[in-house]
Amino acid sequence: MTLRELLSRLTRRHLDRDFEDEIATHLELAESENLQRGMDPAEARRRAAIKFGSVTSAKEGVWTQRGLPGFGSFLQDLKYSLRGMRKSPGFAAVTVLTLAICISLCSVIFCTLNGTFLRPAPGVADPTGLVTLQSPVAYPHFEQYRGDKAAFIGPVPFTVDKARIFGHLVSSEYFSLLGVEPLLGRFFDATLDLPGAAPTVVLSEVYWRTHLHSDPGVVGSSLRLNGIQATIVGVAPKDFIGILPMPHPAEIFVPVTADPRVAPELADDALHRTTQPVFRVLFRLPSGESLSAAEARLDAETRGFPDNLTHKDEKGRLVHVSSAAHLAPVTPALNAMIVMFYTMLVALILTLTCANLAGLILARGRARAREIAVRLSIGASRLRLIRQLLTESLLLAVLGGAAGFLAIWGFFKILPKLAPSADPVIQRQFFPDFHLALFAFLISTAAGVGFGLMPALAITRPDLATALKTSMRTGFGIHRRFGLRNLFVVYQVAVAMILVLLMGFLTLGIRYGTNRDPCFDPTPLYVFSLDPGTDGLTSQESAAMFAGLTRRSLSGIDRITFSDQAVFSFGDSFPNTAVTVHDAVKQVAMQMIGPGFFATLGVPILRGTEFTDRDLHSDPALLPAVINMTAARELFGDADPLGRRIRQDDRDFQVIGVVHFDRPVIFKNEPAATVFLPMTMQDLGRRPRQGTTIIVRSGTHLDEASLRNSLAAIDARLNPFDLRTMQADLAEQERLGQIVAAFYLPIGGFGLILACLGLAGVTAQAVEQRRKEIGIRMALGARREQLLGLVMHEGAIMVTTGAAFGLVCVYGIARAMSAAYAPLAQAIAWGGSNPMLTVGVPALLVSLALVACYVPARRSATIDPLIALRED
Amino acid sequence: MSAKLDLLQGTLDLLVLQTLVSMGPLHGYGIARRIEQQSGDQVLLNQGTIYAALVRLQHRGWITAEWGTSGNNRRAKYYSITRDGRKQLAEETSNWQRLAAVIERVLAK
Repeated sequence: MTLRELLSRLTRRHLDRDFEDEIATHLELAESENLQRGMDPAEARRRAAIKFGSVTSAKEGVWTQRGLPGFGSFLQDLKYSLRGMRKSPGFAAVTVLTLAICISLCSVIFCTLNGTFLRPAPGVADPTGLVTLQSPVAYPHFEQYRGDKAAFIGPVPFTVDKARIFGHLVSSEYFSLLGVEPLLGRFFDATLDLPGAAPTVVLSEVYWRTHLHSDPGVVGSSLRLNGIQATIVGVAPKDFIGILPMPHPAEIFVPVTADPRVAPELADDALHRTTQPVFRVLFRLPSGESLSAAEARLDAETRGFPDNLTHKDEKGRLVHVSSAAHLAPVTPALNAMIVMFYTMLVALILTLTCANLAGLILARGRARAREIAVRLSIGASRLRLIRQLLTESLLLAVLGGAAGFLAIWGFFKILPKLAPSADPVIQRQFFPDFHLALFAFLISTAAGVGFGLMPALAITRPDLATALKTSMRTGFGIHRRFGLRNLFVVYQVAVAMILVLLMGFLTLGIRYGTNRDPCFDPTPLYVFSLDPGTDGLTSQESAAMFAGLTRRSLSGIDRITFSDQAVFSFGDSFPNTAVTVHDAVKQVAMQMIGPGFFATLGVPILRGTEFTDRDLHSDPALLPAVINMTAARELFGDADPLGRRIRQDDRDFQVIGVVHFDRPVIFKNEPAATVFLPMTMQDLGRRPRQGTTIIVRSGTHLDEASLRNSLAAIDARLNPFDLRTMQADLAEQERLGQIVAAFYLPIGGFGLILACLGLAGVTAQAVEQRRKEIGIRMALGARREQLLGLVMHEGAIMVTTGAAFGLVCVYGIARAMSAAYAPLAQAIAWGGSNPMLTVGVPALLVSLALVACYVPARRSATIDPLIALRED
Repeated sequence: MSAKLDLLQGTLDLLVLQTLVSMGPLHGYGIARRIEQQSGDQVLLNQGTIYAALVRLQHRGWITAEWGTSGNNRRAKYYSITRDGRKQLAEETSNWQRLAAVIERVLAK
């Protein structure tokens, strides 16, 4: 079928042609019968035509009977709508722009959901039924699970050419379980990659492309991994960056059978020890098995392991299963909560926009009332008019939707330039796709019906007599009801209140939770990391290196110390370690630090001393400890803590100092009781997962090259990474707050602006409608303030009703969200305790709304009673 | 000769259905002519109006249409009655007869 045929079928043009044929046949038959009766040809034709009657009215009869008009009249409606749009371009532009913003906001929300929960992780060919155990297990335990499974450790750091990259240590089943085929060469094989064999490595396509220039002959050549030559045996397919690639995508893959010198994570015979639960397990569930059924099954299997070390949770479960098909593992509960929240957000934004535009269209409908009334009175059916009006709103909606979609598409096009540090494969995960296009189309259509239907029904309500007689500027107060438009405005104010407050809660709450007093001056401080294990140092060499670090004087470095974790951004320990003091169990946070830690930071020691080089050689059974003021108060009350003992499991600490280092814990607004322990030579020889954080006080500017030079004085192999200023490190913790603000504040702002515009519109219209009334009142001597009050009164009622309704909803939603997810409860509680937000925002909204009301209301005073009364 | 009769609302459908029962498949002109002949040229019929009725009856599923060739070798649409149409006709006919009887009784005083 050609396009033309299709179109003609859709427009029913073929039916018209058929009918013309039928008429022609009819007339010919009649004519020939007349000829047989002996008429002359001209007369025969004339009589046939008379007998048939009007061809046009026959056609009209048939059209009427065909009833439901098809595509043809749709085209007619569309043409009419386009003409209307050309006639009032301002209205069309405002509508399309409002919709475009609405659709782009909804689209961003959708892209987030799409990338996180809907789309499978990049490069994973078959994501169905992929799950992972939430806690790692020991390799011998992994081997005991039944079914399709694979194990991996990751992300783990590697040093390649002085650069630090991340990779996965994978079992031989890893790639086949994920259904991934090599782009070049082969993947790992249980029969080839045996323990003790020469080191092998598989590259990701990204790494191969960016570092090896897509060399097709790369298989068989070698890569220096942590100082050891490893043979490249294959390249993974495009976009595959490992399972669960958030936050670190895998750039290379190394078999779990690798030499511990290549992968220090595998030291101490990790493959055969049940005491080293470091392996993440992946399963592919048999089709049809639910997540909860799988969890029960795997839990039962885990119970059967003779020597497992895992602990039961409060529900008695040994293992927890979460989906592994996406960017990061997500538990079903969190998934449901996030999806629900975002769905609510989209629904609110969408209905707010619809209410606003419906109001706009109603106002316009009033202006068009005469046109509509005329069309109704000359016989247009109400259904036909409603369809016409709906076509108009749908056209606007689809245009707005398309504009919104294009805006988002453009935004994602330039996103790589805005955030160049983000991984391009992961960024692409959030890019607009077919799903987004479908979503945008569906919600814009829904919006089109949503803001078009009610006004269409209201405008075409047959009340011809009034409409034709008056110009719809209904005169006096009694005739005016609390109409649909006012209801729309109340709803808009309510939703604006909900959006602004909720977004405010989240933004402020997260800001508040992440913006903490550092308790020291970060200006002269730098932070970097060292991972001597991957740099090729042995345990003894590492320990000696760290011990030497604080003793040696290095150029450009005033003071230097270290810690077991990146303390200052997100790495804070929560008070999750149980210790006993005089048989009383307390929860404290623990942190391992090096000599001179507090001196380097510039934190005052209140009592006693801090650790010195001597403490590196402490007796592990009786470690010295420095505690903060919170710990001193919580553990010892008013008593002098110096010299007192703290017991944890089978070791004791003796307090040698108290410091004023009481930083609030992230997402808690109070400091945690913290016990600082010295890192011993034994600790320094062990290799922590993400390297050791080194803190440096330096009077001069420190860059990577100068740092490398300074460190070379200790060991030339050392490879410092992640060098940043302490200020940058502290700013990192505020990033989350900034991201959340960038995401949520536009939503709140959009709500606020729309509600104000809606209110202004409806007030302006009210003034316009009451011109005559106002004119009379003026003529009878009403003062300007009285008139203003008259108009404002109505606006104030709408604003307060909407605001009150919105506040009640916010309260309900906040309660529900707090109940669903604990960290959110904390953020909401902070937001809720902030009077700027709980009192300030509603006050701001109400006053803005009243201003929006006042501006058009002022016009009432400019009405000239003489003109107003003489009109019509 | 007295003025021709106007058809009552709805009676045209009845006449068309009856025509199709007695004549079998027929094109629009045939149906119109048949009705005129049967009524002894007593009814006033704009032949064109028959087509609206045909579309209506088609929509209700009482008749079907098929393209064929007429006696003078023209493309013509032939209409035939369906089973539903026959049922409808029977019903309508008895309704009509009852109505006619009632009216006759009333008019006969």
